[in-house]
Amino acid sequence: MSLPTKRSSSTTTTSSSSSSSSPLTSPPMKKAKSQSQPDSKNGLFHHHHNSSDNDDDGRRAQPDNLSRKKAQPPQPGKKQFVIKPFKAKPAVPKNLEEETWEILKSAICAIFEKKPVSCVLEELYQAVYNLCVHKMGGSLYQRIEKECERHIAAALQSLVGQSPDLVVFLSLVERCWQDLCAQILMIRDIALYLDRTYVKQTPNVRSLWDMGLQLFRKHLSLSPEVEHKIVTGLLRMIEKERLGEAVARTLINHLTKMFIALGMYWESFEKPFLECSSEFYGTEGVKYMQQSDVPEYLKHVEKRLHEEHERCLLYLDASTRKPLVATAEKQLLELHIPGILDKGFTMLMDGNRIEDLQRMYTLFLRVNALEALKQALSSYIRKTGQKMIMDEEKDKDMVSSLLEFKASLDTIWEESFSKNEAFCITIKDAFEHLINLRQNRPAELIAKFLDEKLRAGNKGTSEEELEGTLDKVLVLFRFIQGKDVFEAFYKKDLAKRLLLGKSASIDAEKSMISKLKTECGSQFTNKLEGMFKDIELSKEINESFRQSSQARTKLPSGIELSVHVLTSGYWPTYTPMDVRLPHELNVYQDIFKEFYLSKYSGRRLMWQNSLGHCVLKAEFPKGRKELAVSLFQTVVLMLFNDAEKLSFQDIKDSTSIEDKELRRTLQSLACGKVRVLQKLPKGRDVEDNDSFTFNDTFTAPLYRIKVNAIQMKETVEENTSTTERVFQDRQYQIDAAIVRIMKTRKLLSHTILITELFQQLKFPIKPADLKKRIESLIDREYLERDKNNPQVYNYLA
Amino acid sequence: MPRATSKRKAPPSTSASVTSSDVVSTRPGKRGKKDVDKIGDLFDVYVNKSLDMIDPEGIVSFCSHLGVDHTDVRILMLAWKMKAEKQGYFSREEWRRGLKDLNADTIAKLKKALPGLEKELMATPKFEDFYAFAFQYCLTEDRQKSVDIETVCELLNLVLGPKYRSQVDILTKYLKVQSEYRALNADQWRHFYRFCKEISFPDLEDYDSDQAWPVIIDNFVEWMKENKQS
Repeated sequence: MSLPTKRSSSTTTTSSSSSSSSPLTSPPMKKAKSQSQPDSKNGLFHHHHNSSDNDDDGRRAQPDNLSRKKAQPPQPGKKQFVIKPFKAKPAVPKNLEEETWEILKSAICAIFEKKPVSCVLEELYQAVYNLCVHKMGGSLYQRIEKECERHIAAALQSLVGQSPDLVVFLSLVERCWQDLCAQILMIRDIALYLDRTYVKQTPNVRSLWDMGLQLFRKHLSLSPEVEHKIVTGLLRMIEKERLGEAVARTLINHLTKMFIALGMYWESFEKPFLECSSEFYGTEGVKYMQQSDVPEYLKHVEKRLHEEHERCLLYLDASTRKPLVATAEKQLLELHIPGILDKGFTMLMDGNRIEDLQRMYTLFLRVNALEALKQALSSYIRKTGQKMIMDEEKDKDMVSSLLEFKASLDTIWEESFSKNEAFCITIKDAFEHLINLRQNRPAELIAKFLDEKLRAGNKGTSEEELEGTLDKVLVLFRFIQGKDVFEAFYKKDLAKRLLLGKSASIDAEKSMISKLKTECGSQFTNKLEGMFKDIELSKEINESFRQSSQARTKLPSGIELSVHVLTSGYWPTYTPMDVRLPHELNVYQDIFKEFYLSKYSGRRLMWQNSLGHCVLKAEFPKGRKELAVSLFQTVVLMLFNDAEKLSFQDIKDSTSIEDKELRRTLQSLACGKVRVLQKLPKGRDVEDNDSFTFNDTFTAPLYRIKVNAIQMKETVEENTSTTERVFQDRQYQIDAAIVRIMKTRKLLSHTILITELFQQLKFPIKPADLKKRIESLIDREYLERDKNNPQVYNYLA
Repeated sequence: MPRATSKRKAPPSTSASVTSSDVVSTRPGKRGKKDVDKIGDLFDVYVNKSLDMIDPEGIVSFCSHLGVDHTDVRILMLAWKMKAEKQGYFSREEWRRGLKDLNADTIAKLKKALPGLEKELMATPKFEDFYAFAFQYCLTEDRQKSVDIETVCELLNLVLGPKYRSQVDILTKYLKVQSEYRALNADQWRHFYRFCKEISFPDLEDYDSDQAWPVIIDNFVEWMKENKQS
C-alpha cells in the first residue's frame, strides 16, 4: 500500500498546475478507471465493485481540494505573488449540454441495443459528472429517463404477440427482463454521479435503478396482454408441476423475482395464484375423496402440504407460504372434515392404525378440527362399546373386551393423539357413559371378573401380571356410577374366597382392597378390611381353642374343626339355613361355642351351616378316597353310613335341609361329575319320588376329590338377592338423604331438593324414583307439601 | 258413603213408615227449643238407639225420604255440612250442626235447601274443602291413610266429575288400567284436583314432570301421551 502516498504527491502537482480547471478532472477517478479498463466485458460488475473504491478515493481526495479552496481566499490578501488567472472567467461551452448528451445518448442507445459503446466508459462518467457539476443534473435525469423509457417501451412492445408457447414466451420475458436489468445497471453506473448527487439531493426523484423498474412496470401494465400472458404462463407451469411434470423452476423463480422487484408480485401474481390454487385443490379434494380411501387421502394431503411448503422455498416469496398453505388446507382438509371422519374414522379405529390416526390428528390440528375429531372419537367409543355392553349374550366377555378396548384406546391416545388432555377427557366421558348404559350389570360383571382373577387356580399369571390386571380393572371400576352394586358382589365373592380358602394370594387381595380404598375412601372398604381381620382373628381363636382344656378333654375324636368367626355387618347377609347335623358335629359346635363365649362373653354365636365345608374319608369298595364337600353334602352323605338306600323324602326328613337346597345338594352328589351317590331313576333333576343309593362302584383317578365346587358357584337366587339388597339399601340411602337435607333446610322447593339429592347420592337414579321416596316420606309424615305452594316441601320435626 | 249400603234387613220400624210431616206434627215441643227439637226429632226418626247415631240403614231410609240416592253427591255434601266424621254414620251433634246451618228442620225444607248447598259447594272457594273432605270421609278405619282405587274412581266421578268430566273419565280409565298403585293417599287425591284445575287438557302442554307432581300423575300423563300416539 505504497500507492496512496505516491498518489497524493501527484495530486498536488496536478492541482497546482491547473487549479481552475480542476472541476473537469478528477484524478483519483482516472486511476480507478484505468484499473478497470482492461476487463471491459465484465466491466459491469467490476465497475460496480470498484465504485466503492472510487468512493473512498474521492472522499480522500476531496479534503485536499477543500483545503485548497479554503486556502485560496487569504492568498489575494497577502499579495505576495499573483498568479494571473485566465482573464475571462472560464465559461461553460454553450453547447456543452447538448454535446455531452449526444455522447451519452448514443452510449445509452448502444447499451440498449447491445452494441459496443463507442467511447470509453470513463469518459461517459466524466460527461455525467460535468453536467452534474454544472447543475444540469435535473435535465440530464429527465433526458436519461426519456431515453430509457423509449427503449424499455420498445423492449416490452417487442414481446407483444410473441410465441403462443407459454414456456418459450416466458423465457423471452425472462431474457428481456435480465437484459433490461443489466442495461439499467450499466446506465446507472455511467450516471452514478447523477444518482449520488442530483437524485439524492432532490426529493421525490427515484434512483436510476428504481426509475428503470418503474418504467418497466409502467409499460408492462400498458400492455396487459404481456402481463396476463406472464401470469397465466406461471400459473400453468405451477399447475403442471402439481400434476407431476418437471418444469423449469429457475424460470419461474426469475419471473416471480421480477414481479417482486417490480412490486407487482402480490397484486398481479399472488392473488390469481391463490385463487388458482384454491380451485385446483378444491377439485382435487373432491376427486380424491371419492377415489381413494381415507388413509391414502390423508397421506396425499400431507404430501401436498409439504409440496406447497417447498414451492414457497423454491420459487415463491416467503410471504405467500401462509396463505398458500392455508388455501390448500382449507380445500383439501377443512371442507372434507365430516367426509373424512364419516368415511374413515371408524375404519382406522377398528384397524388400530396408529400411524394413520396420528396423521389425521396432525392434519386436523392444522385446521383446528380437533373438536370434530374428538366428537367422532366419542361417538365411536359409544357405538363400539355399546355392542359390548348391551349384548347380554356377550356378558361373559364384557369385562375383558372392555379392558382390551380401553387399552387400545389408550395406545391410540398416546401415540396418535399426542396425549392430548382434551382427548383423554373425551375417552373418559365416553367410557363412563358407556359403562352406565346398562344399570348394575357391568358393575356386577367387573366384580365377578375380579373374583375370577383373584380365585385360586388361576395358573400362569405372575404376581405382576395380576397386579397389572387389577389396575386396569380399577380404571373401569372408576367409571361405574353404581359402586354399591360392585361392592355387594365383590364382597359376596370375597367372602366365598376367604371362607373356602380359595383365594389365590392374600397379598393380591389386600392390594386390591388398598386400591379400592384409595379410589373410594376407607368408608367403602372398612367392611372388606373387617372381613380380613375376622379371618386372621379366627386363626388365632382356632389355635387357642385347640390348646384349651375343653378341646383336649371333651372333643369327639376323629374330627377336626376349624371355625371362622365372622362379625355380622362386615360380611354379606346370610340367611341362616336349618340343617340337622350329625351328633358328633353338634357336640363339637357346642364345645366350641362354650369355649368362645367363655373367652368373649356377651357375644352371640350363630352357625352359618350353608357356608361350612368338610373333608370326608370315604371307603369305596374300589378304594379309599377323601371327599372335599360342603356341610350340606356331608350331612347327606353321613346318612349313608347307616343306610344303603334312601328316598328323597327320607333324606329331607332326617336332614331338614330346605327343599331347593337339598335338591341342589343331591344333584351335586348324584348327577354331577363326581357321583358318589346314585339316583334312581337316573336323570338330571331331582324329583320327589327319587331315591338314592351309595355308589359302590365309584372310582376316581385322584385320591382327594372335590365335590363342593357347587358352593363356589353363584346361584340365581344368590344373585337376585344380592341385587335386591343393593336396591333396598339405595332406598334407605335416598330416604336418609332427603331427611338429612330437609332437616337442615326445613323448607325447600322440589327442584332444589332433587338437585341436592343428585349431588349427594352416588348411584345412578331416576327422578321418578326420588319422587316416590319423597311421596313415601310425605306419607310417613316426615315431610308435607306447603299449603300455599305445592312446589315446596316442609320438614316435619 | 258408597259403603253405606246396608245388608241388614228391616229398617227401624218406627221411622220407616212415618212421613216427614207426621213427625213434625206429632211433636209440637217446647217453644224455645222449637227448631232444635224439630231437628232432633227428625234425627230420632232415623236413629239407631243403641248407638245414638244414624247408622247406614238410617241413612238409606233418610235418603229414600229425601228422594235422593244414598250414593248421590248431595248426601256427601250434607255430610260435609254436618262435618260428619265417620262414613255411614251421623251423630246427633253433626246432624244438628248441618241442619241448623241449612235452616231445615223437615225433610221438605231439606229438599229445598239441597240445590243451594250444591251450588255453594261447587263454587271454587268451598269446593276445595269439600273435595278434601270427600277423601277424608272415606277413611273409615283407624290409621287408614289410603283409599282403594275403585272407591277413588267412584269418588272422582262423584265429586270431580261434574266439574271436569273429560279429565275424570280418562283419569279413572287410567287408574283402572294401571297396576302400580292399589290405593291412593290424600296427597295424590289432592293433586288430581290441582291437575284438573291447572293443566290444560287434553294437550297437557304446560305439564312438567320435573315439578313436584306425584309420580302417579307423571305416569298418567305419560300414559296419555303414549295412547294419543297410537
